Amino acid sequence: MFSECAQLDQSKRSRAEPLFKIRYYTWTRNRCVHIRERKGSYFEVSHSKNTSRNMAAPVSNNSGCWGAPEVYKHHEQRKVCISRPKYREGRKAKAVKVYTINLESRYLMVQGVPAIGVMTELIQLCALYGAVEEYRPLDEYPAEEFTEVYLVKFQKLTSARAAKRHMDEKGFYGGVLHVCYVPEYETVEDTRLKLQDRRRYIIRAVQNKAREKQQEAVNKDPPSSDTATTSKTIITRQDKTSDKNNTWKTSNISHYSSFPLLPVPPQEHHYYGHKSEQRTIPTEDKMGTLHNAITDTKQQPEQSSSSIQTSSDRDRGTEHRLTSHQSSAVRFVPRTTHLENRKRRMEEAAELSLTDVTGNSEPLIGPKLPEPPKLDMEDESLNTTVNLIRNTLKQVESIPDLKPVQKKPKPRRRI
Amino acid sequence: MWKRGSSESSDRFEYLQTLVTEFQDTDSDEAKEQVLANLANFAYDPKNMEYLKELQVTDLFLDMLTEENDNFVEFGMGGLCNLSMDPECRDMILQSSGISLVTNRLSSRREETVLSAITILMNLTTASSRSEITDPAILQCMLRFSLSESPRLRNLAAVFLQDCCSEEQVARAEQQMQGQQTAVGIPLPKE
Repeated sequence: MFSECAQLDQSKRSRAEPLFKIRYYTWTRNRCVHIRERKGSYFEVSHSKNTSRNMAAPVSNNSGCWGAPEVYKHHEQRKVCISRPKYREGRKAKAVKVYTINLESRYLMVQGVPAIGVMTELIQLCALYGAVEEYRPLDEYPAEEFTEVYLVKFQKLTSARAAKRHMDEKGFYGGVLHVCYVPEYETVEDTRLKLQDRRRYIIRAVQNKAREKQQEAVNKDPPSSDTATTSKTIITRQDKTSDKNNTWKTSNISHYSSFPLLPVPPQEHHYYGHKSEQRTIPTEDKMGTLHNAITDTKQQPEQSSSSIQTSSDRDRGTEHRLTSHQSSAVRFVPRTTHLENRKRRMEEAAELSLTDVTGNSEPLIGPKLPEPPKLDMEDESLNTTVNLIRNTLKQVESIPDLKPVQKKPKPRRRI
Repeated sequence: MWKRGSSESSDRFEYLQTLVTEFQDTDSDEAKEQVLANLANFAYDPKNMEYLKELQVTDLFLDMLTEENDNFVEFGMGGLCNLSMDPECRDMILQSSGISLVTNRLSSRREETVLSAITILMNLTTASSRSEITDPAILQCMLRFSLSESPRLRNLAAVFLQDCCSEEQVARAEQQMQGQQTAVGIPLPKE
């Protein structure tokens, strides 16, 4: 599993050769000064010995997407529409504009960043919404005085979307950011993949919707004879159980799969919701929470019989996990075996989440199990970003004179 | 859970219906533009696909392509671009002779409109519609776009030429272009 991740990482990295480009800043008289020369710029120019010129001038690049920027119409902030009737007014004032996939991109342009050397902070903020693959300041882009413009390339379009939504028109170190998509930085391949992803996503979403609808129909009349056939689409491996079990299960399972079927990162409420539903914490039950005990006695005979019957002919699957949880709540389990089970389940869940990402035909059923303790961020993309940032910070910090904090003001002479 | 979902969805349907009704009833172009943009943006979310189909919004968008108001055309085209990702909507658009309506707007002066049009044509490509979409005239358009100054237009046209038609078709279109120089006259979007 880990080797797979590493491979994935490598392939991604090789696609984006210049991993990140750093600009160096130095501080003089409390003001950030670019090392790089700005034509006709207000800023002073200072020279540092340990910066290489080609680092500072990343424009000449074989990828072709980092050329001199041009100002396009879709960068502008449109005028907000104020003539909407009440029922069409959203929570936020917005312009009249249609978003299509052509307008979206994993490349974002961030304008209005105060020119006080907060690039690292900006990228850290961006990385909250997903892994950042590349970034650089757009010096040639016309910016307001004392502000800078940055180009940020996310690994995924969804990250860029989230970043735009959360960062646009938000305050940042005393400035207000304007974030917009800049699809003109895409390569042909970027564009192609973007469209393909979108088409795939729509098809999957529509299929899921249809499936959900089918389930709803099933739920409305559970005792009908066709439950078995329709539920087959959802519970792929279940076929031999009796009708009685079926009806109970379909109603229960459809409840879970009405959550989005895409692999969802572990979310708190999700997790707890399932936990309470399925009584995976036996301690609380055994301590005498009554309502759980009552429902258990109702469902117990059906469940245990089904779990015994079905788990024998099923190797491993989401369904299996579900039933085993329920039976674990009923029977007494010694603490050691309980812990063992939990460990096994955790491993299983990790495997499943992997296969789900690649196979994705199977709906996520069952509780979100606690993630194996990772170093920090609980998310792979975030972790890669964190690593990137850490490396960047290391590099940046290795250069003297960088941080304002490091340069302590001269101690005043006392008279 | 699913109960709440279904009541929410019926609310959504009613809301969309209200939008369509306002679009049909109002005389104000401004309101029409706003509603049209609203509907086109709703079409981006696959959750709404079904309701929009039921309300026949595909035909509403297609009607906009023959309007004179450039905003109507742009928003209608954007809506179609969003809807045509869905196979069922694609078939509906194909049945309403969407290809010719969309193709006629490839000469629009607005880049956004042209970009949407190209994406729609790609989405509309099926085994049976391929011959119509790879018409030499359309390919010549795409060849011209692929030389455009705008990287977005250039890229999208390149994807079309690479994915939707064969190399021989492109070569043939290129030859015809050189022979007659007809496609040179196709104006490129300015805005």
